[in-house]
Amino acid sequence: MEAETRNRPSFANIKVDLGAGDRIIAEAGAMASMSSSINVTTRWNGGCFGAFLRRIFGGETLFVNEFTTASQGELVLTQPMPGDIECIELKGTTLFLQPGAFLACEPGVNLGLGWAGIASFVGGEGLFRLKVSGNGKIWFGAYGGIFAKEVEGEYVVDTGHLVAYEPSISIRMGMAGGIFSSFFGGEGLVTRVTGPGRIYMQSRSLDGLAAWTNGQIW
Amino acid sequence: MQHEIVARPAASVVKLNLDAGETITCEVGAMLAMSTGIKVETTSGKKGGKGGGLMKGLKRMFSGENFFLNHFTADRAGQTLILGPQLMGDVVHHNLSGTLVVQGSSWLASEEGIEIDASWQGFGKALFSGESMFWVKCSGHGDLFLNSFGAIYEVNVDGGFTVDTGHIVAFEDTLQFKIGKAGASLIGSFLGGEGLVCKFTGQGKLYCQSHNPPSFGALLGPKLKAR
Repeated sequence: MEAETRNRPSFANIKVDLGAGDRIIAEAGAMASMSSSINVTTRWNGGCFGAFLRRIFGGETLFVNEFTTASQGELVLTQPMPGDIECIELKGTTLFLQPGAFLACEPGVNLGLGWAGIASFVGGEGLFRLKVSGNGKIWFGAYGGIFAKEVEGEYVVDTGHLVAYEPSISIRMGMAGGIFSSFFGGEGLVTRVTGPGRIYMQSRSLDGLAAWTNGQIW
Repeated sequence: MQHEIVARPAASVVKLNLDAGETITCEVGAMLAMSTGIKVETTSGKKGGKGGGLMKGLKRMFSGENFFLNHFTADRAGQTLILGPQLMGDVVHHNLSGTLVVQGSSWLASEEGIEIDASWQGFGKALFSGESMFWVKCSGHGDLFLNSFGAIYEVNVDGGFTVDTGHIVAFEDTLQFKIGKAGASLIGSFLGGEGLVCKFTGQGKLYCQSHNPPSFGALLGPKLKAR
């Protein structure tokens, strides 16, 4: 299987060349086009109960699609929002994804759900987070560009900008500064991450776009 | 006519160099900038107002385009014209020789001599293809420019190819498509979020867009306040 992420960072999409015996799993609705030699099988997103939990709390779809072929074919996977797509190879490691970020993975990857905590919920990041583990590549997307940072000690990220992070990172919500600058400085609540570990951030946020658009609607 | 497409794929525009007497017909509102030796004429059909413009204009409105068309003609040599779509997205060039069927709002501009007409795609396709009720049918020879929300990629179809609804930009009329289900089972196709897809057969060139406005709208819409 050969996969290439094209048109980064504004309209990233994944072009996958599948050969006989290759499998790729993608979020429901991610397929943009494919050769007619490719077969699609729809299944629960990791068991019926788990799928429901992930749908309700993880912001993910109830079902996932598995793409296979008996010969060969090409497949294009995409996400609803314009933005970047990042590919990570898991080697027995784990990564936490924010709700809605998951796009596709190889068959050796497990999709699970992890408790993110009340503080995360208050901060607008959701009560749960998607936990991907195992062996294989995973693809996740964002609105805007994706950039990674190795965090040593503490680091501050604005709410809505954190996309993914390693399990060694701990997260708590906090104010950007004092009460005055937190509420009048436009930053409000922020996410305080503590390392060591790697985090992935998105350069724009959908909530930011919605707030701007709402300001333009009369 | 020379062209150059810049700022792909997010903020694409096409820069044209027109020689004396050359004309390009484009979508209303597509002109961003031009040199002073270019004349603009607005009609609902062909340049000069000939040839049943009223009906064509009305049909074009149904296909998601404007009733009017703008024709830009260079008075003298070495004139430049910059064209771009309204939304952020891609622009591609197609060297037309024959007929290309273009999805409602994806037609941007075409060289003089290319016939632009709206064509009804049939009830079933209109309801289920995720595209407009009419397609824009471009026939003739010359330069044609298409635009989309998202990046445009080209597929040379030989036999069969499947495109999710809402991702078609244009296709040569040597291709036909039918509405079908994505997987082997109908229930699976719907639960899997792909639902109905467009299944192409034949041989020819197909242009797809990587993203589409309805999917993005479905994500952003709930966050917006009521008007």
